[in-house]
Amino acid sequence: MKRFGLALRLLLRDGRSGELTLLVLALLIAVASATTISLFADRLQRTLTVQAAEFLAGDLVLAGSMPIDDAWRRRATGLGLIPSQTVEFSSVLLENEQMLLAAIKAVSQGYPLRGFLKTLETEAGAESQIAHGPQPGTAWVEKRILSALNLHVGDMLTVGEKPLQVTRILTYEPDKRGDFYSFSPRVVMHQADLPATGVIQPGSHVHYFYQFIGEETALVAFKKWLKPQLNPSQRILDIHEDRPELGSALQRAERYLGLSSIVVILIAGAAIAMAAGRYTERHFNTSALLRCLGCKQREIFRLYTVQFLVLGMLTSAIGCLLGWLGQLGLFYVLKPLLPQQLANPSLLAVVFGFVTGMAILLGFALPPLLRLQKVSPLRVLRRDLEPLPAKAWLIYGLAIAIMSVLVWRYSNDWQMTAGIVGIGLSSLLVLGLLVTGMLKLLRPWLPKLGLTWRFGLQGLLRNSRASVSQILAFSITLAAMSLSFTVRSDLIDQWRQQLPERAPNYFALNIIPAQQPAFAQDLLRAGIDSSAFYPVVRGRLVEINTEAVQKRVSKDSQGEAAIHRELSLTWAPAIPADNSITSGEAWSADQAGWVSVEQKLADNLGIKVGDDLRFTVGGAQVSARVANIRSLQWDTMKPNFYMIFSPGTLNDFPLTYLTSFYVPDAEKNLLNQLLKTYPATTILDVDQILKQFKTILMQLTQAIDLLLYFALAAGFTVLFAAVYATLDDRIRQGALLRTLGARRDWLRKTHLVEFGVLGASAGILAAAISQAILYVLYSRVMHIPYEPSWLAAATLPGIGMLSVGLAGYWGVRAVVDQSPLRVLRRL
Amino acid sequence: MQTHSEPNNPSIIETRNLGKSVPSSEGELHILSSVDLIIKPGESIAVVGESGSGKTTLLSLLAGLDTPTSGSVFIKGRDITVMNEDGRAALRNELIGFVFQSFQLLPGLTALENVMLPLELSGDGNAEAAARALLERVGLARRLTHTPKQLSGGEQQRVALARAFVTRPAILFADEPTGNLDSKTGAHVIDLLFELNREQHTTLVLVTHDASLAARCGRMIGLAAGRML
Ligand SMILES: Nc1ncnc2c1ncn2[C@@H]1O[C@H](COP(=O)(O)OP(=O)(O)O)[C@@H](O)[C@H]1O
Ligand SMILES: [Mg+2]
Repeated sequence: MKRFGLALRLLLRDGRSGELTLLVLALLIAVASATTISLFADRLQRTLTVQAAEFLAGDLVLAGSMPIDDAWRRRATGLGLIPSQTVEFSSVLLENEQMLLAAIKAVSQGYPLRGFLKTLETEAGAESQIAHGPQPGTAWVEKRILSALNLHVGDMLTVGEKPLQVTRILTYEPDKRGDFYSFSPRVVMHQADLPATGVIQPGSHVHYFYQFIGEETALVAFKKWLKPQLNPSQRILDIHEDRPELGSALQRAERYLGLSSIVVILIAGAAIAMAAGRYTERHFNTSALLRCLGCKQREIFRLYTVQFLVLGMLTSAIGCLLGWLGQLGLFYVLKPLLPQQLANPSLLAVVFGFVTGMAILLGFALPPLLRLQKVSPLRVLRRDLEPLPAKAWLIYGLAIAIMSVLVWRYSNDWQMTAGIVGIGLSSLLVLGLLVTGMLKLLRPWLPKLGLTWRFGLQGLLRNSRASVSQILAFSITLAAMSLSFTVRSDLIDQWRQQLPERAPNYFALNIIPAQQPAFAQDLLRAGIDSSAFYPVVRGRLVEINTEAVQKRVSKDSQGEAAIHRELSLTWAPAIPADNSITSGEAWSADQAGWVSVEQKLADNLGIKVGDDLRFTVGGAQVSARVANIRSLQWDTMKPNFYMIFSPGTLNDFPLTYLTSFYVPDAEKNLLNQLLKTYPATTILDVDQILKQFKTILMQLTQAIDLLLYFALAAGFTVLFAAVYATLDDRIRQGALLRTLGARRDWLRKTHLVEFGVLGASAGILAAAISQAILYVLYSRVMHIPYEPSWLAAATLPGIGMLSVGLAGYWGVRAVVDQSPLRVLRRL
Repeated sequence: MQTHSEPNNPSIIETRNLGKSVPSSEGELHILSSVDLIIKPGESIAVVGESGSGKTTLLSLLAGLDTPTSGSVFIKGRDITVMNEDGRAALRNELIGFVFQSFQLLPGLTALENVMLPLELSGDGNAEAAARALLERVGLARRLTHTPKQLSGGEQQRVALARAFVTRPAILFADEPTGNLDSKTGAHVIDLLFELNREQHTTLVLVTHDASLAARCGRMIGLAAGRML
């Protein structure tokens, strides 16, 4: 490049004279924060994914009621995946004349692929983590087994026909599932001993789980290959699908992290555009002079583009470094909260930070820069000759294109990208026009105002184009902040609601009707809160409007899972308070023969109000007409039902009761009492799951908080950057006004008025923008109910007025301290 | 506040041993040294000298735009060098008008608004009528609502003249007011300046390096290397 040397020299000179400081600072913040967030989010996400994988004891699990084809396992190992296997079934144990139904789990070598087991070596020993299962010939059992069968560690326990030595007490297994098999106490044994037990016969009820771990790509490839070959009894579980409660929390958190990144980039983009605008204006003279000296327009363009490219690369590199350090700092601060095993920072995330820097620099700085080549050489003689502003479509087009790509890269979600960019774009257009109109309307009022107000407002009107873009920039910043904040608190609120402080951590099932009042009485006496007691009849849905239900289901769906097992059917005079009817009517208490169906299942099976459903219960059949469809929140840990019948419909069938309750850690021995008093009753322990889940949510919340502070800091820095962009003009004008006799406090007041009005207008717009985006985000992307947050909307104008007003006041305080001599010297 | 008045010889501007120096890498740099000056009301003074001789510096000290490093400046007997910045601003608003080489109109305001500004700053309720009258006087009655961008250099300088005279200042400082204008336009602006000066009996301090322009003033002060000749 012919003029590369000149470009570098000019760049160096600008750098030394402080001309570029603002731009570099803005870019540095942008890249550093983008890199920090990108790295942090990437690492956190991978760490959390690993942690979530522990729930499955693998990254991907294939569950079914038959052993799998050997070809499938070969395919998995061929793809580089590591397999393990568990077989679960229930078996009656008989020792010391005591009988107990136990949940047996035979595990292969390698289990658990993710996570670990916790065990005690003696009844009074200390808990220790262990990353493998028992050796052949031995078994690890839950304490309940020992107490129920009068056994001790070291005794023999016979499973089926195979005697095993009990060597450890099991206190925790990562992949404990909240379904039927977890109700009974656990025995873990080695798979090699399985044939010798003789328990597994053709037709016996056995669940096979095949866990796999490996590279993400291999997992995806394997899943894709596997899916079409599955038979109806087989299901793929992965961290997003298996535990809906955890999956959706993770997914929302991922999206939130993405959103935060986008916020910071957007804000930084606005700052860079402003800084570049100022840089451009300050280089009109140089550019005019160069034109006078014979530079062609193209050459000027190249000259400045090269400068910006070099600047961008240097700054982005430094920004990446800062981002790396920032991310290390974040993890250091969060260390007590995070799992010990952290995923490594990925180079890709750093590269992304760099590319982001270059992209936002070019996307936001190029359009103003293009004006430089258009400067008329005549400007050398007539200083006030300014080139036309860059074409609007160019400014916004380029920025939008680059933002879209970035948003997409961060969110990996076209829907979200389209939502954000679409709304942003149309609101920018509409709002731009609106603000322009508002400013126009303001003008006739000016002569009626006092001098201070008039002058402050004139500051806005004087360069209405700049004011419009500033108001828009501030409003985007404010909207982004409020958005982050609102989404964060809504997410956390939702999680809290889902898992309140005293969320039920135990379920009691199979409570015999004759014992139900006594059971309830015992809970009450112990001061334990329980949910209602629901009568339960086990039954299977077989026909919808005389059509066999199998014909209605698609593979892999929730509906499929529901018809392959018995459902818990209950009845109630009215549907529970936290369920809501989405279509149809409630029944009146004395009408038998009606049923209320959960919405997702109804959608899945195509069930509508008025359909006739037929169930088999035991050997008998029962029919009911759909009275209503009802929606509910599944992940609340409260008893939820797919089917609720009107009273009287299920009267003739044997029933048991079900309830859930919260037992604090200190009162756990109550459970043993309950188990002794009501041997037929099953107590399901979800405490472990709940605790794991809560830990993860807490970590997510902390991470989210930190990201929010980060975005907030970036926002404020940008605020000052924007104020600085107009500083030259203000200094000139302030000095002139003072030669005319203006006092400094008067000047200050006009600044307060100007920035206050600017901030308030930006705040009003921000309220509108954020609510619009919130609506789209919630209803279309995150699928949580949208409610206008009036509080945010009402406070934003005030926040805008205060923050922009004070930042502006502080940022231009130099103006009033400048010597009016500047006017004479034409500085 | 120190006052200084000699009833027999009332001066509107007076300096005593006025000096300005700035620190530089080779020690103190004396931009202006021991200037003693007495200007009587209604006088017109031309400050002449080569570029860099200190003319602008002197003007800025006389007008209280800058503070001297030695000596004092008295305006109407009041020592402005002991006033604070806001005190000097009030004084400027009350007594002093400016005309600059580069016009210095506020770009967002119309011609009328620019001229009204100093009156409004002093709280004059009749700003608009006075401003209209003066703009008419400088021949711009039809350009009231134009912004500086829509005016030529000469027209801008005439607006600046109107702005300077609208407060009926006791003293007008002009720093090379024709420096940015062609000679014909410049001459027209200068004619106007002297006419208004006569009408209002303003004390004029005019910085120029144009000998013919300097000759139109009552007295000439020469500066060379920061010293009075
Ligand atoms: N703040 C300053 N620092 C250093 N030198 C200055 C400063 N202000 C003025 N000068 C120098 O003082 C000298 C007189 O300046 P000035 O009063 O502007 O001259 P004139 O108006 O006669 O051209 C010049 O050499 C100028 O460079
Ligand atoms: Mg000068």
